[in-house]
Amino acid sequence: MTALLRLRLAGFLRTGRAVAPLLAGLVVLGTLYGGGRAQAGEAYGVSAVVLFPVLAWQTKVLLDAEPDGQRRLAQVTVGARRERIAGLLAAVVAALGTVAVALVFPWLVGGVTGPVEPGDRSIAVGLLLGLWAHLLAVPPAVLLGALASRACTGSAGYGVAVLALGGVGAVVLGLSGSAVPWLAPPIMATARATAGALPATTAALLTVWAMAWSAVALAGYVWWRRSRM
Amino acid sequence: MRLENVWLRYHRRGSWVLRGADAELGAGEVAVVLGRNGVGKSTLLQVAAGVIRPGRGRVTGRPARVGWVPERFPADQPFTVAHYLTAMGRMAGLPPSEAGRAVDTWVERLGLARFRGVRLPELSKGTAQKVGLAQAMLRRPGLLVLDEPWEGLDATARELVPELVDEVLTAGGSVLVSDHRGEVARLPGARRWTVADGLVTEEAPSGGAGFAVVEVEVAAARVAGTVARLRAEGHRVLGVRPGGEPPDDPVPPDGGRPDVREPVPGARPADPADEVVR
Repeated sequence: MTALLRLRLAGFLRTGRAVAPLLAGLVVLGTLYGGGRAQAGEAYGVSAVVLFPVLAWQTKVLLDAEPDGQRRLAQVTVGARRERIAGLLAAVVAALGTVAVALVFPWLVGGVTGPVEPGDRSIAVGLLLGLWAHLLAVPPAVLLGALASRACTGSAGYGVAVLALGGVGAVVLGLSGSAVPWLAPPIMATARATAGALPATTAALLTVWAMAWSAVALAGYVWWRRSRM
Repeated sequence: MRLENVWLRYHRRGSWVLRGADAELGAGEVAVVLGRNGVGKSTLLQVAAGVIRPGRGRVTGRPARVGWVPERFPADQPFTVAHYLTAMGRMAGLPPSEAGRAVDTWVERLGLARFRGVRLPELSKGTAQKVGLAQAMLRRPGLLVLDEPWEGLDATARELVPELVDEVLTAGGSVLVSDHRGEVARLPGARRWTVADGLVTEEAPSGGAGFAVVEVEVAAARVAGTVARLRAEGHRVLGVRPGGEPPDDPVPPDGGRPDVREPVPGARPADPADEVVR
Protein backbone atom coordinates (compact mmCIF):
# COMPACT_ATOMS: atom_id res chain seq x y z
CA MET A 1 0.00 0.00 0.00
CA THR A 2 2.96 2.32 0.72
CA ALA A 3 4.19 1.76 -2.84
CA LEU A 4 0.79 2.76 -4.22
CA LEU A 5 0.68 5.83 -1.98
CA ARG A 6 4.14 6.89 -3.20
CA LEU A 7 3.23 6.22 -6.83
CA ARG A 8 0.15 8.42 -6.52
CA LEU A 9 2.03 11.24 -4.85
CA ALA A 10 4.75 10.98 -7.50
CA GLY A 11 2.14 11.13 -10.26
CA PHE A 12 0.53 14.17 -8.62
CA LEU A 13 3.84 16.01 -8.42
CA ARG A 14 5.39 14.93 -11.73
CA THR A 15 2.38 15.79 -13.85
CA GLY A 16 2.52 19.32 -12.45
CA ARG A 17 -1.05 19.00 -11.22
CA ALA A 18 0.09 19.96 -7.72
CA VAL A 19 0.93 23.47 -8.91
CA ALA A 20 -2.58 24.83 -9.48
CA PRO A 21 -4.00 24.04 -6.00
CA LEU A 22 -0.81 25.29 -4.37
CA LEU A 23 -1.01 28.56 -6.27
CA ALA A 24 -4.68 28.89 -5.38
CA GLY A 25 -3.79 28.31 -1.74
CA LEU A 26 -1.09 30.99 -1.86
CA VAL A 27 -3.52 33.43 -3.52
CA VAL A 28 -6.21 33.01 -0.85
CA LEU A 29 -3.63 33.20 1.94
CA GLY A 30 -2.11 36.29 0.34
CA THR A 31 -5.53 37.88 0.12
CA LEU A 32 -6.29 36.94 3.72
CA TYR A 33 -3.08 38.27 5.20
CA GLY A 34 -2.90 41.24 2.83
CA GLY A 35 -5.92 42.72 4.60
CA GLY A 36 -4.15 43.38 7.87
CA ARG A 37 -2.47 41.76 10.84
CA ALA A 38 -4.20 39.59 13.42
CA GLN A 39 -3.20 37.46 16.34
CA ALA A 40 -2.10 33.95 15.46
CA GLY A 41 -5.10 32.01 16.78
CA GLU A 42 -7.68 34.18 15.03
CA ALA A 43 -5.66 34.40 11.79
CA TYR A 44 -5.15 30.65 11.59
CA GLY A 45 -8.83 29.98 12.24
CA VAL A 46 -9.80 32.01 9.17
CA SER A 47 -6.89 30.49 7.23
CA ALA A 48 -8.36 27.02 7.85
CA VAL A 49 -11.72 28.22 6.49
CA VAL A 50 -10.31 29.65 3.27
CA LEU A 51 -8.07 26.62 2.76
CA PHE A 52 -10.93 24.14 3.15
CA PRO A 53 -12.12 24.30 -0.50
CA VAL A 54 -8.50 24.43 -1.69
CA LEU A 55 -7.65 21.23 0.19
CA ALA A 56 -10.76 19.54 -1.19
CA TRP A 57 -9.87 20.61 -4.74
CA GLN A 58 -6.28 19.47 -4.22
CA THR A 59 -7.55 16.03 -3.19
CA LYS A 60 -9.75 15.78 -6.27
CA VAL A 61 -6.85 16.80 -8.51
CA LEU A 62 -4.54 14.26 -6.85
CA LEU A 63 -6.99 11.38 -7.15
CA ASP A 64 -7.93 12.30 -10.73
CA ALA A 65 -4.27 12.49 -11.83
CA GLU A 66 -4.22 8.69 -12.10
CA PRO A 67 -5.89 7.24 -15.22
CA ASP A 68 -8.97 5.11 -14.54
CA GLY A 69 -7.21 2.08 -16.02
CA GLN A 70 -4.30 2.43 -13.61
CA ARG A 71 -6.68 2.77 -10.67
CA ARG A 72 -8.27 -0.53 -11.70
CA LEU A 73 -4.85 -2.16 -12.06
CA ALA A 74 -3.96 -0.94 -8.56
CA GLN A 75 -7.26 -2.35 -7.29
CA VAL A 76 -6.48 -5.77 -8.76
CA THR A 77 -2.92 -5.68 -7.42
CA VAL A 78 -3.48 -4.50 -3.83
CA GLY A 79 -7.21 -5.10 -3.37
CA ALA A 80 -10.11 -2.63 -3.50
CA ARG A 81 -9.95 -1.65 0.17
CA ARG A 82 -6.25 -0.88 0.17
CA GLU A 83 -6.55 0.98 -3.10
CA ARG A 84 -9.10 3.36 -1.53
CA ILE A 85 -7.11 3.78 1.67
CA ALA A 86 -3.91 4.52 -0.28
CA GLY A 87 -5.70 7.23 -2.26
CA LEU A 88 -7.05 8.91 0.87
CA LEU A 89 -3.70 8.69 2.66
CA ALA A 90 -1.89 10.20 -0.33
CA ALA A 91 -4.39 13.07 -0.25
CA VAL A 92 -3.86 13.53 3.51
CA VAL A 93 -0.07 13.69 3.00
CA ALA A 94 -0.50 16.31 0.28
CA ALA A 95 -2.94 18.26 2.47
CA LEU A 96 -0.49 18.26 5.37
CA GLY A 97 2.11 19.77 3.05
CA THR A 98 -0.29 22.58 2.18
CA VAL A 99 -1.15 23.06 5.86
CA ALA A 100 2.56 23.43 6.62
CA VAL A 101 2.78 26.17 3.98
CA ALA A 102 -0.30 27.84 5.47
CA LEU A 103 1.23 27.83 8.95
CA VAL A 104 4.52 29.35 7.79
CA PHE A 105 3.10 31.79 5.23
CA PRO A 106 1.81 34.54 7.58
CA TRP A 107 5.19 34.79 9.31
CA LEU A 108 6.85 35.42 5.94
CA VAL A 109 4.50 38.27 5.04
CA GLY A 110 4.08 39.72 8.52
CA GLY A 111 0.42 38.74 8.69
CA VAL A 112 0.35 37.86 12.42
CA THR A 113 1.16 39.67 15.61
CA GLY A 114 2.12 38.54 19.07
CA PRO A 115 -0.02 39.29 22.16
CA VAL A 116 -1.00 42.96 22.29
CA GLU A 117 -2.89 43.26 25.55
CA PRO A 118 -2.62 41.41 28.83
CA GLY A 119 -4.63 38.20 28.60
CA ASP A 120 -3.96 37.71 24.88
CA ARG A 121 -2.74 34.29 23.85
CA SER A 122 0.97 33.76 23.45
CA ILE A 123 2.39 33.05 19.98
CA ALA A 124 3.03 29.41 20.93
CA VAL A 125 -0.58 28.88 21.99
CA GLY A 126 -1.76 30.68 18.87
CA LEU A 127 0.38 28.36 16.74
CA LEU A 128 -0.99 25.28 18.48
CA LEU A 129 -4.55 26.52 18.00
CA GLY A 130 -3.78 27.18 14.34
CA LEU A 131 -2.36 23.70 13.88
CA TRP A 132 -5.46 22.24 15.54
CA ALA A 133 -7.83 24.31 13.37
CA HIS A 134 -6.08 23.23 10.17
CA LEU A 135 -5.88 19.58 11.23
CA LEU A 136 -9.63 19.64 11.93
CA ALA A 137 -10.21 20.89 8.38
CA VAL A 138 -8.02 18.24 6.68
CA PRO A 139 -10.16 15.07 7.04
CA PRO A 140 -13.46 16.70 5.92
CA ALA A 141 -11.70 18.50 3.06
CA VAL A 142 -9.97 15.32 1.88
CA LEU A 143 -13.23 13.38 2.01
CA LEU A 144 -15.13 16.11 0.16
CA GLY A 145 -12.43 16.02 -2.54
CA ALA A 146 -12.59 12.21 -2.63
CA LEU A 147 -16.38 12.33 -3.06
CA ALA A 148 -15.86 14.78 -5.95
CA SER A 149 -13.16 12.64 -7.61
CA ARG A 150 -13.76 10.93 -10.95
CA ALA A 151 -13.82 7.51 -9.29
CA CYS A 152 -17.00 8.58 -7.48
CA THR A 153 -18.71 11.01 -9.81
CA GLY A 154 -17.66 9.53 -13.15
CA SER A 155 -17.62 12.92 -14.87
CA ALA A 156 -15.88 16.28 -14.59
CA GLY A 157 -19.19 18.16 -14.39
CA TYR A 158 -20.59 16.24 -11.43
CA GLY A 159 -17.19 16.43 -9.75
CA VAL A 160 -17.06 20.21 -9.94
CA ALA A 161 -20.68 20.39 -8.72
CA VAL A 162 -19.92 18.25 -5.66
CA LEU A 163 -16.82 20.30 -4.92
CA ALA A 164 -18.59 23.66 -5.30
CA LEU A 165 -21.64 22.63 -3.30
CA GLY A 166 -19.50 21.13 -0.57
CA GLY A 167 -17.16 24.12 -0.36
CA VAL A 168 -19.90 26.73 -0.35
CA GLY A 169 -22.15 24.61 1.88
CA ALA A 170 -19.41 24.26 4.50
CA VAL A 171 -19.21 28.05 4.79
CA VAL A 172 -22.92 28.93 4.43
CA LEU A 173 -24.25 26.19 6.70
CA GLY A 174 -21.55 27.02 9.21
CA LEU A 175 -22.61 30.66 9.64
CA SER A 176 -23.58 31.55 13.20
CA GLY A 177 -27.31 31.82 12.42
CA SER A 178 -27.49 28.51 10.54
CA ALA A 179 -30.41 26.22 11.40
CA VAL A 180 -28.50 23.08 10.44
CA PRO A 181 -24.83 23.75 11.24
CA TRP A 182 -24.23 20.06 11.92
CA LEU A 183 -24.75 19.31 8.22
CA ALA A 184 -21.37 20.94 7.53
CA PRO A 185 -17.95 20.21 9.01
CA PRO A 186 -17.18 22.62 11.87
CA ILE A 187 -14.65 24.82 10.11
CA MET A 188 -16.63 28.05 10.63
CA ALA A 189 -17.38 27.16 14.24
CA THR A 190 -13.68 26.45 14.77
CA ALA A 191 -12.72 29.83 13.29
CA ARG A 192 -15.13 31.57 15.66
CA ALA A 193 -13.78 29.55 18.57
CA THR A 194 -10.13 30.42 17.86
CA ALA A 195 -11.02 34.14 17.76
CA GLY A 196 -12.34 34.11 21.33
CA ALA A 197 -11.99 32.22 24.53
CA LEU A 198 -11.80 28.49 23.88
CA PRO A 199 -12.84 26.22 26.75
CA ALA A 200 -11.51 22.67 26.59
CA THR A 201 -15.05 21.28 26.30
CA THR A 202 -15.70 23.39 23.20
CA ALA A 203 -12.42 22.23 21.65
CA ALA A 204 -13.32 18.61 22.39
CA LEU A 205 -16.83 19.07 20.99
CA LEU A 206 -15.52 20.61 17.79
CA THR A 207 -12.99 17.79 17.41
CA VAL A 208 -15.69 15.15 17.89
CA TRP A 209 -17.96 17.01 15.46
CA ALA A 210 -15.22 17.06 12.78
CA MET A 211 -14.46 13.38 13.30
CA ALA A 212 -18.14 12.40 13.21
CA TRP A 213 -18.71 14.40 10.01
CA SER A 214 -15.61 12.78 8.49
CA ALA A 215 -16.78 9.31 9.53
CA VAL A 216 -20.12 9.84 7.78
CA ALA A 217 -18.39 11.22 4.68
CA LEU A 218 -15.96 8.26 4.71
CA ALA A 219 -18.84 5.80 4.92
CA GLY A 220 -20.46 7.55 1.99
CA TYR A 221 -17.23 7.44 0.01
CA VAL A 222 -16.71 3.73 0.65
CA TRP A 223 -20.34 2.92 -0.19
CA TRP A 224 -20.26 4.99 -3.37
CA ARG A 225 -16.97 3.50 -4.55
CA ARG A 226 -18.23 -0.02 -3.89
CA SER A 227 -21.45 0.64 -5.76
CA ARG A 228 -19.52 2.00 -8.75
CA MET A 229 -17.01 -0.88 -8.82
CA MET B 1 -12.52 -20.00 -9.52
CA ARG B 2 -16.24 -19.97 -10.10
CA LEU B 3 -18.64 -17.34 -11.41
CA GLU B 4 -22.09 -18.08 -10.02
CA ASN B 5 -25.20 -16.52 -11.54
CA VAL B 6 -23.38 -13.29 -12.32
CA TRP B 7 -25.54 -10.35 -13.40
CA LEU B 8 -24.01 -7.04 -14.30
CA ARG B 9 -25.06 -3.73 -15.79
CA TYR B 10 -23.14 -0.49 -15.83
CA HIS B 11 -25.99 1.88 -15.01
CA ARG B 12 -28.95 1.55 -12.69
CA ARG B 13 -31.43 1.69 -15.56
CA GLY B 14 -29.13 0.27 -18.21
CA SER B 15 -29.52 -3.10 -19.87
CA TRP B 16 -27.85 -6.12 -18.36
CA VAL B 17 -24.53 -7.03 -19.97
CA LEU B 18 -24.29 -10.32 -18.08
CA ARG B 19 -27.53 -12.14 -17.22
CA GLY B 20 -26.89 -14.97 -14.86
CA ALA B 21 -23.54 -16.04 -16.28
CA ASP B 22 -22.07 -19.22 -14.80
CA ALA B 23 -18.55 -20.47 -15.44
CA GLU B 24 -15.85 -22.39 -13.66
CA LEU B 25 -12.12 -22.48 -14.24
CA GLY B 26 -9.93 -24.94 -12.40
CA ALA B 27 -6.28 -24.74 -11.46
CA GLY B 28 -4.04 -25.46 -14.44
CA GLU B 29 -6.77 -24.58 -16.93
CA VAL B 30 -6.94 -21.90 -19.59
CA ALA B 31 -10.15 -20.62 -21.15
CA VAL B 32 -10.48 -18.37 -24.17
CA VAL B 33 -13.47 -16.04 -24.11
CA LEU B 34 -14.98 -15.54 -27.55
CA GLY B 35 -17.87 -13.46 -28.81
CA ARG B 36 -18.88 -10.51 -30.95
CA ASN B 37 -17.72 -6.97 -30.22
CA GLY B 38 -19.59 -5.38 -27.32
CA VAL B 39 -21.09 -8.66 -26.15
CA GLY B 40 -19.43 -8.49 -22.71
CA LYS B 41 -16.14 -10.35 -23.05
CA SER B 42 -14.11 -7.64 -21.31
CA THR B 43 -16.85 -7.26 -18.70
CA LEU B 44 -16.69 -10.97 -17.92
CA LEU B 45 -12.91 -10.80 -17.65
CA GLN B 46 -13.07 -7.79 -15.34
CA VAL B 47 -15.59 -9.52 -13.11
CA ALA B 48 -13.29 -12.54 -12.96
CA ALA B 49 -10.26 -10.36 -12.17
CA GLY B 50 -12.11 -8.46 -9.43
CA VAL B 51 -12.09 -5.11 -11.24
CA ILE B 52 -15.90 -5.01 -11.31
CA ARG B 53 -18.24 -6.32 -8.64
CA PRO B 54 -21.25 -8.16 -10.03
CA GLY B 55 -24.63 -6.54 -9.42
CA ARG B 56 -26.01 -9.96 -8.50
CA GLY B 57 -24.35 -13.33 -8.08
CA ARG B 58 -20.82 -13.89 -6.88
CA VAL B 59 -17.32 -14.96 -7.76
CA THR B 60 -15.80 -17.59 -5.49
CA GLY B 61 -12.39 -19.18 -5.29
CA ARG B 62 -10.53 -16.29 -6.92
CA PRO B 63 -6.80 -16.76 -6.20
CA ALA B 64 -5.16 -14.18 -3.95
CA ARG B 65 -2.78 -13.02 -6.65
CA VAL B 66 -4.43 -11.88 -9.84
CA GLY B 67 -2.58 -10.49 -12.86
CA TRP B 68 -4.77 -8.44 -15.18
CA VAL B 69 -3.71 -7.13 -18.56
CA PRO B 70 -6.33 -4.63 -19.74
CA GLU B 71 -7.14 -4.26 -23.40
CA ARG B 72 -5.67 -0.74 -23.36
CA PHE B 73 -2.72 -0.17 -21.09
CA PRO B 74 -3.08 3.18 -19.22
CA ALA B 75 0.07 4.78 -20.63
CA ASP B 76 -0.84 8.35 -19.69
CA GLN B 77 1.38 8.35 -16.62
CA PRO B 78 4.52 10.39 -15.91
CA PHE B 79 6.79 7.45 -15.12
CA THR B 80 9.53 5.63 -16.97
CA VAL B 81 9.06 1.94 -17.75
CA ALA B 82 11.53 0.90 -15.04
CA HIS B 83 10.02 3.19 -12.37
CA TYR B 84 6.49 2.07 -13.16
CA LEU B 85 7.28 -1.64 -13.18
CA THR B 86 9.30 -1.41 -9.98
CA ALA B 87 6.42 0.39 -8.28
CA MET B 88 3.97 -2.24 -9.53
CA GLY B 89 6.26 -5.00 -8.26
CA ARG B 90 6.39 -3.35 -4.84
CA MET B 91 2.60 -2.96 -4.91
CA ALA B 92 2.32 -6.67 -5.64
CA GLY B 93 4.18 -7.29 -2.39
CA LEU B 94 7.70 -7.95 -3.66
CA PRO B 95 10.58 -6.70 -1.47
CA PRO B 96 12.73 -4.02 -3.18
CA SER B 97 15.52 -6.39 -4.28
CA GLU B 98 13.09 -8.98 -5.65
CA ALA B 99 11.06 -6.30 -7.40
CA GLY B 100 14.26 -5.09 -9.09
CA ARG B 101 15.16 -8.62 -10.18
CA ALA B 102 11.64 -9.30 -11.46
CA VAL B 103 11.67 -6.06 -13.46
CA ASP B 104 15.07 -6.96 -14.98
CA THR B 105 13.79 -10.42 -15.93
CA TRP B 106 10.58 -9.26 -17.56
CA VAL B 107 12.08 -6.24 -19.24
CA GLU B 108 14.59 -8.59 -20.84
CA ARG B 109 12.07 -11.27 -21.81
CA LEU B 110 9.64 -8.84 -23.35
CA GLY B 111 12.29 -6.92 -25.26
CA LEU B 112 11.80 -3.75 -23.22
CA ALA B 113 15.47 -3.25 -22.27
CA ARG B 114 15.98 -0.23 -24.51
CA PHE B 115 12.78 1.34 -23.21
CA ARG B 116 13.67 1.14 -19.51
CA GLY B 117 14.24 4.87 -19.21
CA VAL B 118 11.47 5.90 -21.61
CA ARG B 119 8.38 7.56 -20.18
CA LEU B 120 5.16 5.61 -20.62
CA PRO B 121 3.32 8.19 -22.78
CA GLU B 122 6.16 8.03 -25.32
CA LEU B 123 5.76 4.29 -25.92
CA SER B 124 4.07 2.86 -28.98
CA LYS B 125 0.82 0.96 -28.42
CA GLY B 126 2.54 -2.42 -28.74
CA THR B 127 5.37 -1.52 -26.39
CA ALA B 128 2.91 -0.15 -23.84
CA GLN B 129 1.02 -3.43 -24.13
CA LYS B 130 4.23 -5.27 -23.28
CA VAL B 131 4.56 -3.14 -20.14
CA GLY B 132 1.01 -4.21 -19.34
CA LEU B 133 2.02 -7.86 -19.71
CA ALA B 134 5.13 -7.33 -17.59
CA GLN B 135 3.26 -5.73 -14.68
CA ALA B 136 0.88 -8.69 -14.55
CA MET B 137 3.73 -11.22 -14.46
CA LEU B 138 6.12 -9.52 -11.99
CA ARG B 139 4.78 -11.73 -9.24
CA ARG B 140 3.48 -14.95 -10.75
CA PRO B 141 -0.31 -14.76 -10.54
CA GLY B 142 -2.64 -17.53 -9.47
CA LEU B 143 -5.09 -16.16 -12.03
CA LEU B 144 -3.89 -14.38 -15.16
CA VAL B 145 -6.57 -12.43 -17.02
CA LEU B 146 -5.56 -11.26 -20.49
CA ASP B 147 -7.90 -8.95 -22.36
CA GLU B 148 -6.98 -9.16 -26.05
CA PRO B 149 -3.30 -9.68 -25.19
CA TRP B 150 -2.18 -9.99 -28.81
CA GLU B 151 -3.52 -6.55 -29.74
CA GLY B 152 -0.71 -4.37 -31.06
CA LEU B 153 2.07 -6.88 -30.31
CA ASP B 154 4.75 -7.70 -32.86
CA ALA B 155 5.24 -11.26 -34.12
CA THR B 156 7.92 -12.11 -31.55
CA ALA B 157 5.89 -10.84 -28.63
CA ARG B 158 2.77 -12.65 -29.89
CA GLU B 159 4.71 -15.90 -29.64
CA LEU B 160 5.55 -15.04 -26.05
CA VAL B 161 1.94 -14.91 -24.85
CA PRO B 162 1.44 -18.71 -25.02
CA GLU B 163 4.74 -19.08 -23.13
CA LEU B 164 3.48 -16.87 -20.32
CA VAL B 165 0.20 -18.75 -20.25
CA ASP B 166 2.06 -22.04 -20.06
CA GLU B 167 4.22 -20.81 -17.17
CA VAL B 168 1.19 -19.78 -15.14
CA LEU B 169 -0.55 -23.10 -15.87
CA THR B 170 2.55 -25.10 -15.01
CA ALA B 171 2.72 -23.33 -11.66
CA GLY B 172 -0.88 -24.42 -10.99
CA GLY B 173 -2.53 -21.16 -11.92
CA SER B 174 -5.46 -20.43 -14.23
CA VAL B 175 -5.63 -18.20 -17.27
CA LEU B 176 -8.56 -16.40 -18.87
CA VAL B 177 -8.00 -14.83 -22.29
CA SER B 178 -10.29 -12.90 -24.59
CA ASP B 179 -9.68 -13.03 -28.30
CA HIS B 180 -11.39 -11.65 -31.36
CA ARG B 181 -8.46 -11.97 -33.78
CA GLY B 182 -8.43 -15.73 -34.12
CA GLU B 183 -5.21 -15.97 -32.13
CA VAL B 184 -6.83 -18.70 -30.05
CA ALA B 185 -4.99 -21.19 -32.29
CA ARG B 186 -1.89 -20.30 -30.28
CA LEU B 187 -3.50 -21.88 -27.20
CA PRO B 188 -4.46 -25.33 -28.46
CA GLY B 189 -5.27 -26.66 -25.01
CA ALA B 190 -7.68 -23.90 -24.12
CA ARG B 191 -11.34 -24.32 -23.24
CA ARG B 192 -13.59 -22.08 -25.30
CA TRP B 193 -16.19 -19.94 -23.62
CA THR B 194 -18.57 -18.00 -25.79
CA VAL B 195 -20.35 -14.94 -24.43
CA ALA B 196 -23.72 -14.22 -26.03
CA ASP B 197 -26.94 -12.71 -24.70
CA GLY B 198 -25.34 -12.18 -21.31
CA LEU B 199 -24.60 -15.86 -20.82
CA VAL B 200 -21.44 -17.93 -21.02
CA THR B 201 -21.57 -21.20 -22.91
CA GLU B 202 -18.74 -23.62 -23.38
CA GLU B 203 -18.09 -25.45 -26.61
CA ALA B 204 -18.08 -29.19 -26.04
CA PRO B 205 -14.75 -30.84 -26.78
CA SER B 206 -14.69 -32.51 -30.20
CA GLY B 207 -13.29 -35.95 -31.04
CA GLY B 208 -9.55 -36.30 -30.69
CA ALA B 209 -9.57 -33.80 -27.90
CA GLY B 210 -6.63 -33.55 -25.61
CA PHE B 211 -3.82 -33.61 -28.15
CA ALA B 212 -2.04 -31.18 -30.40
CA VAL B 213 0.76 -31.70 -32.89
CA VAL B 214 3.93 -29.67 -32.40
CA GLU B 215 6.54 -29.68 -35.16
CA VAL B 216 10.03 -29.19 -33.82
CA GLU B 217 13.26 -28.63 -35.73
CA VAL B 218 16.43 -29.98 -34.09
CA ALA B 219 20.04 -30.40 -35.21
CA ALA B 220 20.50 -33.78 -36.98
CA ALA B 221 23.11 -34.88 -34.46
CA ARG B 222 20.65 -34.38 -31.58
CA VAL B 223 17.64 -36.15 -33.07
CA ALA B 224 18.04 -39.41 -31.16
CA GLY B 225 18.56 -37.65 -27.84
CA THR B 226 15.66 -35.30 -28.40
CA VAL B 227 13.31 -38.13 -29.35
CA ALA B 228 14.34 -40.07 -26.26
CA ARG B 229 13.86 -37.06 -24.04
CA LEU B 230 10.44 -36.28 -25.48
CA ARG B 231 9.33 -39.87 -24.96
CA ALA B 232 10.68 -39.80 -21.44
CA GLU B 233 8.54 -36.74 -20.79
CA GLY B 234 5.44 -38.62 -21.87
CA HIS B 235 5.05 -37.23 -25.38
CA ARG B 236 4.28 -39.48 -28.34
CA VAL B 237 6.77 -39.02 -31.17
CA LEU B 238 4.90 -39.57 -34.42
CA GLY B 239 7.81 -39.53 -36.82
CA VAL B 240 11.13 -38.06 -37.84
CA ARG B 241 11.78 -36.51 -41.25
CA PRO B 242 15.28 -35.97 -42.59
CA GLY B 243 16.35 -32.34 -42.98
CA GLY B 244 15.59 -30.45 -46.17
CA GLU B 245 12.50 -32.48 -47.00
CA PRO B 246 9.51 -30.17 -47.48
CA PRO B 247 6.45 -30.86 -45.41
CA ASP B 248 3.81 -32.89 -47.21
CA ASP B 249 0.78 -31.19 -45.70
CA PRO B 250 -0.40 -27.67 -45.08
CA VAL B 251 0.45 -27.56 -41.36
CA PRO B 252 3.21 -25.07 -40.44
CA PRO B 253 4.66 -23.94 -43.72
CA ASP B 254 8.14 -23.48 -42.34
CA GLY B 255 8.53 -27.25 -42.08
CA GLY B 256 9.36 -28.64 -38.66
CA ARG B 257 11.19 -31.92 -38.71
CA PRO B 258 10.24 -34.42 -36.00
CA ASP B 259 6.48 -34.52 -35.37
CA VAL B 260 5.45 -34.78 -31.77
CA ARG B 261 1.96 -35.34 -30.49
CA GLU B 262 1.76 -33.64 -27.15
CA PRO B 263 -0.91 -34.47 -24.60
CA VAL B 264 -2.70 -31.39 -23.30
CA PRO B 265 -4.92 -32.07 -20.30
CA GLY B 266 -8.54 -31.32 -21.04
CA ALA B 267 -7.68 -29.79 -24.38
CA ARG B 268 -8.58 -30.19 -28.00
CA PRO B 269 -6.85 -28.95 -31.13
CA ALA B 270 -7.70 -25.37 -32.00
CA ASP B 271 -7.61 -26.00 -35.70
CA PRO B 272 -8.48 -29.15 -37.62
CA ALA B 273 -5.13 -28.86 -39.33
CA ASP B 274 -3.45 -29.52 -36.02
CA GLU B 275 -4.87 -33.04 -36.05
CA VAL B 276 -2.96 -34.06 -39.15
CA VAL B 277 -0.42 -36.70 -38.24
CA ARG B 278 2.26 -37.73 -40.66
